Amino acid sequence: MNRRRWLLHLVMGAIAHRKGRALLLLSVLAMASSLATALGIVSTSMEKRVAEEVRKYGANLVVTPEASRLDIGSGGLNFGVVSEPAFLDQGQIDSALAKSGVRAEHSYQLRGALHWKERDLMVEGVNFSDIRRLFPWWQLKGSWPAEGESVVGNDLATRYALKPGDSLELVGKAGTVRCRVSGIVTSGGEEDGQLFVSLLNLQQALGMTGQLSQVRLMVTAGNDGIKKSAAVLQQLLPGTKVSEVRQTAHTSEGLLTKVKLLMVMVTAVVLISAGSSVTGTMSTTVLERGKEIGLMKAIGGTRREVMLIFCGEAALLGIGGGIAGYLLGSAIAHFITRTVFSASAEFMPHYLLVSLGVSLFLALLGSFGPMVSVFRLDPVRSLRGE
Amino acid sequence: MLFRLLKNSFLKRPKSVLLVFISIVMGASVATAFLGISGEISHKMALELRSYGANILLEPSAVEGGGFLREDDLPKIKTVFWKYNITGFTPYLFGVADFSANGKRERGIVSGTWFAKNLEVAGEEPSVQGVRGIAPWWDVQGGWPAGPDEAIVGAALAKRLGSAIGGHVEATVRGKQQRFQVVGIVTTGGYEEEQLFAPLITTQELLQLPGKVSRVQVSALTVPMDAFGMKNPAQMTKEEYEKWYCTAYVTSVAKNVEEVMAGSRAKPIWQIASAEGSLLKKLNSLMLLLTILALVASAMAVSTSLMASMAERSPEIALMKAIGADRYQISAIFIGETLIISVIGGMVGYLLGDQLAGIISRTVFNSTIASPFWLFPTAIISAFVVAFAGSVAPLRRALSIEPVRVLKG
Repeated sequence: MNRRRWLLHLVMGAIAHRKGRALLLLSVLAMASSLATALGIVSTSMEKRVAEEVRKYGANLVVTPEASRLDIGSGGLNFGVVSEPAFLDQGQIDSALAKSGVRAEHSYQLRGALHWKERDLMVEGVNFSDIRRLFPWWQLKGSWPAEGESVVGNDLATRYALKPGDSLELVGKAGTVRCRVSGIVTSGGEEDGQLFVSLLNLQQALGMTGQLSQVRLMVTAGNDGIKKSAAVLQQLLPGTKVSEVRQTAHTSEGLLTKVKLLMVMVTAVVLISAGSSVTGTMSTTVLERGKEIGLMKAIGGTRREVMLIFCGEAALLGIGGGIAGYLLGSAIAHFITRTVFSASAEFMPHYLLVSLGVSLFLALLGSFGPMVSVFRLDPVRSLRGE
Repeated sequence: MLFRLLKNSFLKRPKSVLLVFISIVMGASVATAFLGISGEISHKMALELRSYGANILLEPSAVEGGGFLREDDLPKIKTVFWKYNITGFTPYLFGVADFSANGKRERGIVSGTWFAKNLEVAGEEPSVQGVRGIAPWWDVQGGWPAGPDEAIVGAALAKRLGSAIGGHVEATVRGKQQRFQVVGIVTTGGYEEEQLFAPLITTQELLQLPGKVSRVQVSALTVPMDAFGMKNPAQMTKEEYEKWYCTAYVTSVAKNVEEVMAGSRAKPIWQIASAEGSLLKKLNSLMLLLTILALVASAMAVSTSLMASMAERSPEIALMKAIGADRYQISAIFIGETLIISVIGGMVGYLLGDQLAGIISRTVFNSTIASPFWLFPTAIISAFVVAFAGSVAPLRRALSIEPVRVLKG
């Protein structure tokens, strides 16, 4: 039996003969590394999840014609347009969006007045499928409109006693829109006083094919990305104004930073405390083996060899614990993301390395420290159990 | 005798006692820190989300537009049932005006508001209300108005008028004129950019509408809407209505505010309210799960370190048995040891955890935090329970051993 095999034999024997102890150490190492994995995975995916949640606040960029004056109002209060309106060209916007490479969801909107029963109504032409994504806070009574249907704001509906199922005939400069009311929207904002029809119908009725009064964009971007996207789009869209909706964009960035910071702190606290506990447990089990070390030294084992045996043992346990910890940690992370965000966690194989690293580090640290103190003892004394 | 045994067991093997002690301290401090902040965090997060702006809008109840609210009613908002949930409010009075500056004439909106008004309400703590509090995303270059004839101008309007900070803008409404000094330019990316914001009192004079406001924005801390909250209050039974009214749903807070403002109706601004609700719900459940995870992990860490340290002591137990100690005496020694270590460890852990919670709260939310006092006994008792649970299994095994076999080696 050569030396290396003999060492291996010793290590395996040490583990096999103290199954209970090995199991205990394996489980604490697995616990610590699973914490590292789970918290790591959750914090990395956290940014994405919260960013998704923050999208519920709606668009973060608005494109308006430079010449036009924005509608007047504050926080959902609208006074209408004070001066003659200007318009955007839909084709220009489309090509600019495609060229810029900015990843954004968009909602094209055209605003105009249509005549109905001797009154002018403020009508907004929109694509309802975009609305559902960019305005997720709309509370709709009735159903989302199909072809040839429209949605009425709550205040408007109360004022003119409109209800789902009513038919409207709206007269514009160039044509007439006939539609059925399919739902009533409450938002607490300017939408409450408007009538929504499909964009194409309104463009035809007003004789303004391919023209828009406003484009709302929801840009998917991390830090600073929104400002950068705005600058890129502004360059491609001369004659328009691309502005950042500070209420949503600015606040969301702040919130994301806070959440990230919180997760980092929590992870650090948990890992340090679990890590020191695990190291302590590991040390206890090495300390109690002073006799064994004394014996090894007495029969001629060098420091290096004894160290090798103990470190080998610790490394084996560390690897086992790391792998088990990765599996357990991924399961925990998956459970958390599913319960909290009802989304499945991504598979992150590189956390296997993190988990192995944490587990190996704790195992080696836990056995190395006490071993140094045991070495200082005289073999005779440690054999006598002093 | 018992006392001497305990004393020696600590003094003769300081290393292993220290290791167990450290693990108890760590466990207790994580538990304290997490329990301490998890309750606070949902409150802090809710406050944080308030920087998205007002979630309730008060407007005159006349549907046809027109109509005004009374400025005199505003202080009453600080006296309603949900007054502690209302973090701020701001009145607005709007009017169309002709602005002239640098020889240019432009039509725009003059908007009277409170910027940061010291509000004193009898019987309530004085507070500062206004735009600065409820709209932190406003990007104001220059300063905020202090005097009655100072104003901030929206970026788009300023561009049209060609006015800059330090310049003057003349506003004309139905023949009445008012000269404003521009002290700031505001960028928001929203409607605000087309307005001139002036102190409410000046605007009331300019528009000849003394004591009137057109809208009030209210920022309130609310709980997420659930299925019950979405029910129509008009169709609730008496009990249900009471429960609804006494839960801080955005709808019930709105109702509450509406009641004190004569001739008003309050609308939740759903863009803010619904997104906030769902975000808060998720962050809260995330914190809850993380707290459970941390508690379970620290309990496990403490138990296992106790297990490891007990297991090495079977020869000691065998020797005690051999010289005639019975089960109870042996148990008393070990439980006594555990009790002492865990009480001290729990205390130190509590202090450490308290600091940790403070550090987290300061770095993340820039605010201090006070751990509730009930956490102190809880930390100590739970440290003992967890440590005890960890030592029961090895102790029982040690008690059942044959002394002779262990002593033989």
